[in-house]
Amino acid sequence: MTADDHRDWRLSLGAYALGDLPPDERAALAAHIEGCPECRAELRELEGVAALLPLADPARIESPPVRPPADLGARIEAQIAAESAKEGRVKRRRRLRFGFGGAVAVAAVAALLAIVVIPIGGESSPAQKVEFASVPNGISIKAILEPHAFGTEIQMYVKGMPSGTLCRVFLRDAAGRTYSAGSFRYRWEEGSEAHLSSGLDLSQAAEIGLHAGGRTFVAPVSPVTALVSGAEIHPA
Amino acid sequence: MPALTRERDVREAYAAHSGELYGFAVRSLGDSGLAEEAVQETFLRAWKAGERYDPEIGSLRTWLFAILRNVVIDMGRARASRPRVGPEQGIEPSVEPLEQALVAWQVEEAMRRIGDDHRQVLLETHFKARPYAEVAEELGVPEGTIKSRVYYGLKALRVALEEIGYDG
Repeated sequence: MTADDHRDWRLSLGAYALGDLPPDERAALAAHIEGCPECRAELRELEGVAALLPLADPARIESPPVRPPADLGARIEAQIAAESAKEGRVKRRRRLRFGFGGAVAVAAVAALLAIVVIPIGGESSPAQKVEFASVPNGISIKAILEPHAFGTEIQMYVKGMPSGTLCRVFLRDAAGRTYSAGSFRYRWEEGSEAHLSSGLDLSQAAEIGLHAGGRTFVAPVSPVTALVSGAEIHPA
Repeated sequence: MPALTRERDVREAYAAHSGELYGFAVRSLGDSGLAEEAVQETFLRAWKAGERYDPEIGSLRTWLFAILRNVVIDMGRARASRPRVGPEQGIEPSVEPLEQALVAWQVEEAMRRIGDDHRQVLLETHFKARPYAEVAEELGVPEGTIKSRVYYGLKALRVALEEIGYDG
């Protein structure tokens, strides 16, 4: 293979990723890719982008981008100024109270997670409770998942983390695609419950995960009652 | 220092990100009035929670989009419990799940940002499914040029997607 050949093949990788090459060219390029780690790596990247294209609506691409009305910024500033005047005292009090929240170190243990999935309200109820067991000492993570037309509603119950820990929650489908369900900060002062949502249907959810303090805890989601143990913690 | 605790921070954040936030809000709510409401609520919530924003964990854009996402979900719920009103100004509401609507908007926005030559070739060959030879003839360039524009177009699209916060 000469450098020129490689360059020519490389320029065809986009058409290859989009499935646009005629069969003979496709076969020849496939043979080149087989023996070319550089093209293989590049193809993976291009395929990732190519897979997203069908989501886009060409009519929206060709229409000019929408812009917010010119006075929206001023309206927001006015609203914030009004809220600021109203809530200034409350905010200050709250900040003082936060000052007393000492941090407790998260025990860096837990090699394994045992997860118990308990259906709520009998088999007719579609909501399910997922309990993360064997998490580090003093920490408890539970979730109630409820299906909705918009996706899945998730109530997270977290206890025992250092106040202020950022918790990011996600669902994962059977194909391993991750759907964010948003994030919250764990605060003692504000209780340990967070209401979140994800666009993924509960019936499509295979796992629920919580990323906090540099660790990711993953628990399987099941449409039926199940006792699952030994799921590994995925490193952050 | 945490951002958005002062009104001036909100003004700066608005100047930097309101266009994108509004674009996604219109895309997902399908209504410019609701989109304005959503962006307004987003900045209000951001300001109220400003102490919790930590620039070391994620970009301000990511944080604002996460808030907007929750606002849109809340508005969708509120709307579902109200009688249906027709879409205004001919903007079709997005019917995909919100995550998908966000990625769709990101791809559309990224497509608008890449070079004209690249966008045109991707639109003609991919979205309109026209043969490369036909597009080449129309543009008066060799077919190989179309192929290389598809290649460089996808690469540019990838960079543009990262710029606007796609993290898939």
